Amino acid sequence: MEMDRESGKLEQIVSQFRSKILHVILDSRVPSLHHHHHQQQQESLSHSRVRKTDKWFNLVLGDRPPALENLNFSLRNLFDPMVIDIILVHRGSCSSSVDNLYSPSAPAAGPADETVIERWVVQYDCPRFIATPSGADACVSYKKIYKKSIILLRSLYTQMRLLPAYRIFKQLSSLSQTYNFDLVYKVSSFSHPFSREEESGMKEYIFAPVEALSGCLSVSVTYRATLSDFNLEPLVSLPPKIITDYVGSPTTDPMRSFPSSDKGAHATSFPLRGARPPSSSPFQRPHSWSSGFHRGFPSTKTQSLAGSPPVYRTSPKPYDIASPPTDLYGNRIQNQRVSTLQQVTAYDEYKSSPPFSPSASPSTPSYLSGTNPLRTRHCSETAPVTIPLPLTGRSTRYLSPNSSDPSRHSLPPLSPRSSKHDASSQESPSGIRSYRKIEALRAGESPSGLSNNYSAQKVVRDSKDDSGRFSALLSSSGSPRIGFSRSSSRLSFQDDMDDCEFSCPFDVDDVDVSDSSSQNTEGKKASEFTAQSNLVGKKSQDAAVGILVHMLRTAPPLRQDSSCYSTHSLRTEYEGGVSIASGFFMPRKTADALEELNSYREMKDLLLSKSGTRVVRKEEIK
Amino acid sequence: MNCEVCQLKELEVEHFEIREVLRCILHTIVFHRALGLVRPKDVDLELFEITYVQCGDVELEKKIDEKIDHFISWVEKHPNKKSQICLSFYEVKSKQPSWFTNKTERLYWEQWYINLNVTQHPKHHSSKSHHTKLVVDPGESATEERSSRRAMVEASLREVLFQIIKFVNEKKDHVPPISEGVIYFPYEITIPSSSDSAFGMDMIKRMLHSGHPTMLS
Repeated sequence: MEMDRESGKLEQIVSQFRSKILHVILDSRVPSLHHHHHQQQQESLSHSRVRKTDKWFNLVLGDRPPALENLNFSLRNLFDPMVIDIILVHRGSCSSSVDNLYSPSAPAAGPADETVIERWVVQYDCPRFIATPSGADACVSYKKIYKKSIILLRSLYTQMRLLPAYRIFKQLSSLSQTYNFDLVYKVSSFSHPFSREEESGMKEYIFAPVEALSGCLSVSVTYRATLSDFNLEPLVSLPPKIITDYVGSPTTDPMRSFPSSDKGAHATSFPLRGARPPSSSPFQRPHSWSSGFHRGFPSTKTQSLAGSPPVYRTSPKPYDIASPPTDLYGNRIQNQRVSTLQQVTAYDEYKSSPPFSPSASPSTPSYLSGTNPLRTRHCSETAPVTIPLPLTGRSTRYLSPNSSDPSRHSLPPLSPRSSKHDASSQESPSGIRSYRKIEALRAGESPSGLSNNYSAQKVVRDSKDDSGRFSALLSSSGSPRIGFSRSSSRLSFQDDMDDCEFSCPFDVDDVDVSDSSSQNTEGKKASEFTAQSNLVGKKSQDAAVGILVHMLRTAPPLRQDSSCYSTHSLRTEYEGGVSIASGFFMPRKTADALEELNSYREMKDLLLSKSGTRVVRKEEIK
Repeated sequence: MNCEVCQLKELEVEHFEIREVLRCILHTIVFHRALGLVRPKDVDLELFEITYVQCGDVELEKKIDEKIDHFISWVEKHPNKKSQICLSFYEVKSKQPSWFTNKTERLYWEQWYINLNVTQHPKHHSSKSHHTKLVVDPGESATEERSSRRAMVEASLREVLFQIIKFVNEKKDHVPPISEGVIYFPYEITIPSSSDSAFGMDMIKRMLHSGHPTMLS
């Protein structure tokens, strides 16, 4: 009975010794298990917790891998040797056919070369003759065996770090590199003998056995003396790729469509007033900061815009300015919206664009590029609305409210009434006309002298409408007034469009030319302006400003809205870009001029009514 | 109980290698003699591609580092000399006090002798002459020589560690039983003192304490 108890203790020592050795080997050779164990060890260290398994042989190793428990169960017979093969797997060859192969990191596919680089054999040999020690001797016996097992385990632990395979283990355990090889293990109760070739490169070390009365516990290792034959180089990792063509990148081609978004409308997160533009409309404005809005800007302009949040100043809705623009930008607002409208279709194509592109994109919207390049170029810029010069000796000269504004060449559009004399004329709201007018202005602007001539014509025409105001405006610095008038334009343009009235707080003169609208077709207005130039000259400076404001406010909306104007009319505007530009020079009938005058008057009234001033018309007086 | 002595293979090291080599050897030995509950700690050498194991005791590490500092100081005073560091494990036995010995005596049951030959790396004199011609060569040869020398030291150190493992495995019977709550056996690290005579006195002292059979009690 005493012997049974002692033998039971001894078996327990042997069993635990096998488990401990397996734990030490796996922890020092299999990277995947080591990572798992290391994490647990960190946790256990922090909690200073010693497990029951750690106390065996006074060596704290942490939690045993789950696979180890299964292996212990399968190798219950203590007298069967426990053979642990450490296999170097070189990915690329077929999978191994070795029994009980456990390879957590084995390649999922593809053949792999496998080489046994270490073989540990733990054996508990039963002696032929089993001595039966007495009680005291037996007690001392298993304590000594236990002590010796501790020493054996210590030496094995140290030896594991001195063998060549440990270096490979360290390499693979490094998370910073990936390799095309791996270390796996195989535990079995028998060992396949090495081939002669394999044996030639192997060395063997046999640990001193721990002799017990009922058996002899021995550990031996056969290992490859050198592993330089294996190409143990880390996989060449791709250098970090810097993605430059991301959405919002200044170098991104604005024409490029990004697969992430179908419509440009989805890519924006800027606050948009009102509903989104209808997707079916070619003139929808998906972004408040549409690429077209910034794309065509010269670098100087764009930079100045980038410093401020213009995206909030331009919204997809026409005449819906979120924040008051500065003087520098003020004149641009109208044109910006127009230019954005023009480029809406193209924007659909590229779908996303940097909101603050530091440099103006050289590419213009595709649909515009197919039309008048001059016009396209003009459309890509933010041209502020300029006050047309009066006829008197300033026909060839521009004047912009802000002389420093590089886009000061554009003139305010003609009155809306003149649109019916356009090549594509139709009865359209004033908004469209003003838009067309701006289009004409834009088309005229080019590096060449064409824009000057065009604008000169425009100036003549405008001066006829409200020559007095314009002339008065010309004599001033302009920008403060413009800024002020611009501020008045911050009112909801939608209301203006609905009312089709015009009221300018500065207009205290005759309203004949005060209804000058910013929307008109370009070609038709020439004659009309000529006829009205004298009348315009008589108007006050404030009235001119009011006209200008109204022109800007009644510009066609950015978003295609059938309630406001006809899409077709706008489309025809684009399609017949050249013709429209040329149509601006077509003579206008008196009826058109009168119609335009009336529209201007209405607009003026509207403005005045909003400012609380009662408009007294000549007709009423009469 | 007999005292097992292990004379480790002599290592030829340079001054800057002393610390790492001694740490590696001393901790490896102690780890095999720290039979209490330990949490092994792997330490990678910086100068060599060798990983040794410490038993994780902070106090032990401090004491070993102190001894190494003393030894380095001694080496600086006695350059280019072969030296020996002795790591001894003993048992404390109470003994009847006599006018020769104290109440307690140390029974050394194991001693490890670490033999070091601290050398100074010879400077290259070729750079003095033919300066223009041999500007490049001395640098390259020195680097190669250094690396080959380093490899030799590493191989020797590895041999020493294998030697320790072998000795530890082969000699187990003399190891005293493990006391409860004790992590490692009492030890002593002896470094050469200022003079050889003093070193000799230390040896005599040790013999008196260990109760050598030849000594008259």
